[in-house]
Amino acid sequence: MRLVTLSLILSLFLSPEKHLVLLRDGRTLIGFLRSIDQFANLVLHQTVERIHVGKKYGDIPRGIFVVRGENVVLLGEIDLEKESDTPLQQVSIEEILEEQRAEQQAKLEAEKLKVQALKDRGLSIPRADTLDEY
Amino acid sequence: GKSHVLLALKEELVSASQLEAEELDPDLAPDVEEEEVEEEEEENDLGDPAVLNAVHNSQKGLLSSLGITAPGVLGTSPASLHFLWQTLDHLVTLPFRPALLSTRSAACHFGPRLPAPDPSLLCSPPTSWPLRLSHLTQLHPQHQRILKQQQQEGRPQSLPAKKWPQQPDFYANLMTQKEKDWVVKVQMVQLQSENPRLDDYYYQEYYQKLEKKQADEELLGRRSRFESLKLVTPYVQKAGVYESVVRIEGSLGQVAVSTCFTPRRAIDAVPHGTQEQETAAASSQRLWVLYRIEKMFLQLLEIEDGQQDGPAQPRDSEQQSSRVEKLFQALKAQGQNNLEAADDGFLQALSVGKGKALVARLLPFLRREQAVSLLLAITRHLPFLVKRDVADQALQMLFQPLSKCIRHLTFHELLQGLQGLMRLPPGSSERPITVVLQNQFGISLLYALLSHGEQLVSLNSSIKEPSSDHSAWTDVVILTAWAIAQTPTASLAEPLALPSNLLPLFCHHVDRELVQKLEARLEYHFRWLRNSDERKALCLLKLTFWLDRD
Repeated sequence: MRLVTLSLILSLFLSPEKHLVLLRDGRTLIGFLRSIDQFANLVLHQTVERIHVGKKYGDIPRGIFVVRGENVVLLGEIDLEKESDTPLQQVSIEEILEEQRAEQQAKLEAEKLKVQALKDRGLSIPRADTLDEY
Repeated sequence: GKSHVLLALKEELVSASQLEAEELDPDLAPDVEEEEVEEEEEENDLGDPAVLNAVHNSQKGLLSSLGITAPGVLGTSPASLHFLWQTLDHLVTLPFRPALLSTRSAACHFGPRLPAPDPSLLCSPPTSWPLRLSHLTQLHPQHQRILKQQQQEGRPQSLPAKKWPQQPDFYANLMTQKEKDWVVKVQMVQLQSENPRLDDYYYQEYYQKLEKKQADEELLGRRSRFESLKLVTPYVQKAGVYESVVRIEGSLGQVAVSTCFTPRRAIDAVPHGTQEQETAAASSQRLWVLYRIEKMFLQLLEIEDGQQDGPAQPRDSEQQSSRVEKLFQALKAQGQNNLEAADDGFLQALSVGKGKALVARLLPFLRREQAVSLLLAITRHLPFLVKRDVADQALQMLFQPLSKCIRHLTFHELLQGLQGLMRLPPGSSERPITVVLQNQFGISLLYALLSHGEQLVSLNSSIKEPSSDHSAWTDVVILTAWAIAQTPTASLAEPLALPSNLLPLFCHHVDRELVQKLEARLEYHFRWLRNSDERKALCLLKLTFWLDRD
């Protein structure tokens, strides 16, 4: 907790830097951290939601985000130099959304098959808490 | 003059951090400040002590130094060297000391030692400046390795064109320094504890190890002892009075000032008493009863476990029976003051749901006399128990074990029990039996008792002869029949089990008029008979009776 606090403050002091926030529902937001409060609620400026599918990623510009503190998993600074070094390939928004949809579909199918196989063997696994998608 | 010093300093600093970078190991906690101080002292003869002091202070990382509010410093230099110059320059020219004091007073109650964020992170572009690592900076080992590699390669410290936007970032300092300090303070307050070794064990241990290492190194001859900074929470005076909600001005909502050992009272829990007007004595009495029940339950569990293992040796069964005896005594035992009536301890236990469960589970283990005494006590006080059971509705669980016990009753004991129900209690015009009939457990128990009596009578011809017992029995039966007839059908409770010899019993003892009334009631019971054959048999019985009588 102590280090989280400090690093949060430090990040603030370097606010010209971009920050990457990972939320509990699995979304990745990238933006400039402008303000925080005691609950670690965040105000992100010029935010972009980055969706990763396989080796591709796409950025959806979102504007200003106010994130409730309890939904934050982690927060880090982005090394902008390294940001351009990435092996990932940036694609358009439509494409990445399509890819994401396909991925979700595949996952659902696999899940269904698994559940069916388990059922056939007389086992049933109760559904986990769907709140934290990760 | 000054610029020369700065340049020299810069070189020293760079080399110093290179040194550190090589010994990258969080455990060792590279002695950042120590290195710096060494270098600075060497440089002392070179330059302006004020300059050195200022730089020294900046690296000590006092909080105020974080308030480099001029965005221009960070935003306008394209090349790293130039940037560094500018930074140091800026640091030097800033009015340090006064700033320190003002910040201190603003962020009230900060402790003697302020948390020291890594100063290098503060004044450097993250990519190019070799990171200074205090023990407060924790990097993933892979990350550390990469950094080390980079520094060894002497990576060109060039800033990417993307960074340092040409136009100044207007939103960069939306939060003033005061605000930032305040948020940190609030978060720190939540972390403070009076017992850090307990609450924050790992960090304290780590820090101790660190200090010990430094002390050892000092002993080994390193020049000066430099304390690495410890993360201390600001000390906030705790109020003598415990308020359920702690409010800090300007904060949002509640602040978790308490620890896990003193949880904050989030809701003002008001005890809701379901009983009417319990006095202090009564509530303490109740607590005592609950306490007794818990103790007895533990004993019961032991007995049941002993049962499960199977009676292996005579020693075990002796132990078992002694346990049972002890428990029985405990059950009968009195409350705190032995002034109450004989059965009171037992009745108190039965007034609680858990107590009923206890008795129900204990009954199979008891000896005949013990079980019978319990049964009779219950029968005697049936109205009282029924009234007390309104909330729980838990008496039913006693029915099964009690009915097993009833079979062992002698006629005399049975009569004793039943007569108690027929008597008018002093000061009341209502017989206990009326209340009993309206309660499921009561009526079931009553029927079971009557059925048993009838069985005894029919089996034992000696009782049939006119005797006080027999007439008493007849009285009981007639009174019962009369009471049943009196009760409106709707308020008659549904018995848990309807013995088949009831109707003949009533038919034998009761006159026609009464039987007619009884019929209606009993039919009300009979309609629940699942076995239609049974019902047919009963109808036949009725028929034969009428034929007989007529």
